[in-house]
Amino acid sequence: MKECVKNQKNEKFNTYLQVYKMQIIRSLTYKFDVYGNIIMQSIIMLASAFFWKALYAGNDSVQGVGVSDMMVYTVVSSMISVVLTTNVERRISNSVSKGTIAIDMMRPVDIYKVFFAENLAGVTTLIFQNLLPILLIGSIFIGVPVPASKEAFLLFVLSLFMSFCINWFIAVIFGMFSFKVIEMDALIQVKKHLIRLLSGSIIPVWFFPESIKNILSFLPFVYLYQLPLDIYIGKYDSASLTKGLIMQALWVVVLYLMFRFFKKKAEDKVMIQGG
Amino acid sequence: MENMIEIKNISKSYHVVKKGEGIKGALKGLVKKEVKVIPAVSNLNFNIKKGEIVGFIGPNGAGKSTTIKMMSGILTPSSGEILIGGKNVKTHRKEVVQNIGVVFGQRSQLNWDLRLGESFELLRHIYRIDKTSFDEMIDTMDEILGIKELQDKPVRQMSLGQRVKGDLVAAMLHSPDVLFLDEPTIGLDISSKYALRKFVKEINEKRGTTIILTTHDLGDIEQLCSRLIIINNGKLVEDGNLEEIVDDIAPYKTLVVEYYDEQIPQHEKCEIISTEGNVAKYRFFKKEITAAKLIEDLGKQKAIKDVSIEEASIDDIIRIAYEGR
Repeated sequence: MKECVKNQKNEKFNTYLQVYKMQIIRSLTYKFDVYGNIIMQSIIMLASAFFWKALYAGNDSVQGVGVSDMMVYTVVSSMISVVLTTNVERRISNSVSKGTIAIDMMRPVDIYKVFFAENLAGVTTLIFQNLLPILLIGSIFIGVPVPASKEAFLLFVLSLFMSFCINWFIAVIFGMFSFKVIEMDALIQVKKHLIRLLSGSIIPVWFFPESIKNILSFLPFVYLYQLPLDIYIGKYDSASLTKGLIMQALWVVVLYLMFRFFKKKAEDKVMIQGG
Repeated sequence: MENMIEIKNISKSYHVVKKGEGIKGALKGLVKKEVKVIPAVSNLNFNIKKGEIVGFIGPNGAGKSTTIKMMSGILTPSSGEILIGGKNVKTHRKEVVQNIGVVFGQRSQLNWDLRLGESFELLRHIYRIDKTSFDEMIDTMDEILGIKELQDKPVRQMSLGQRVKGDLVAAMLHSPDVLFLDEPTIGLDISSKYALRKFVKEINEKRGTTIILTTHDLGDIEQLCSRLIIINNGKLVEDGNLEEIVDDIAPYKTLVVEYYDEQIPQHEKCEIISTEGNVAKYRFFKKEITAAKLIEDLGKQKAIKDVSIEEASIDDIIRIAYEGR
């Protein structure tokens, strides 16, 4: 008995780190998806770069942003989309509709921490498999995306971290709906396109009418892409920066609280499909 | 002996959205939802002692799996409480599940894309099992199931029998006191079934593990279960050991007697259920008379050529229990 206790003290367990490691091994099992993703992302990136170049023809700057900044914007936006890849809503809805959620829930773990570790592992592999190739392709065909300044880059990293949190909480809250609504595919698509359109990932929000811009500044979407991108290309002053970062942090907190609230509610809603 | 599992008046009902028929019904469902409450389990009460092997049986849809899932902390009961090792499953979920193992015959907890050994290693971290006890357990399991040769095989390449073996080991890695097996023999061939039964017997004898299994396989019941709990429509129907239940449901035996001619004698303590030429079938209650006495009495009246005794088969007993008397 004493022996056993000693052993347990000698070994420190980090369950979620192990989940992370195993998930990396798993995501390396299927290599084919990777190439498809690189090609698709590159096409979107190159197409929007050429689109902006054509629009800028003859103009030095639009809304205070020059064509070279716009090119940086396009490349970095593609890179952010890799970091903000999340499959947690699919992970939950698949487990619920196939009934494997029972397996997740019978273990002495917090399932949401497991989902988070799995998501982080997915992003880690994607950084090597997608982000770096996209950076390379972007640098060759469009231009090296240099940040506006050292300070801008550091603030960008901070803002991107919060974007990651916002993105994950939105996804996990969506995922939790599948405890109530079994088929989630359509909803996930709606969410995906809403984010595409309203976050500034393809069209910067500056090009939207003033009134819509105002409304969007209260919604979480612009804090996924627009804010970190603005910071990266140096399109900020101290007032807009403070306001932006505070709003972003606020959304992290609000979404975290919503997550906690729905998590409690979802626990009683669990239904296991198929026997 | 102490109670390992206490089920106190639990009920569970599901809320199901009622859908109308056809396109009209589907459209109506979009606007107004009718929620139907379906009771899966109602007012279930029973205790299971440490070291018992309990067959938890019932027809399809009786609420077996729901109850197993409530006991293993996956589902929460709508009312009532479940204690495992004295701890409430709902309020102490993490502590309780640390002490139980679950195998679902129809789905695996092993990771499809990983090798079996990697899945075990992940579980070692999830349950915080130190390396020495982990290795010991793998050795023990290897003796019973022969698991080591499978360690390097990816789970997706395994046969069903191999996968179930893997799942059994996975459920035992953290040396749980309670093991739930939900239809573990489903789809298995005879030798895999044999291996599974041997596994159940051995871990019960050697480690004193309390085992609850649901099954539709009568062989499992006959060979393994010291006690049966039969539920139907979410309610407890029978609880006791196999013989008690047999006595309860079918307290009679049938004596078939062949005489030398067609004159059939009678006896006041049994009834003739059929005669065919010189063969008669007598039904008698075990409590009232023994077969030997009956044969002796009948033999005094007429010379007997041959006798045989028919008992209700387990098959019949279970069917009667399911269908209700």
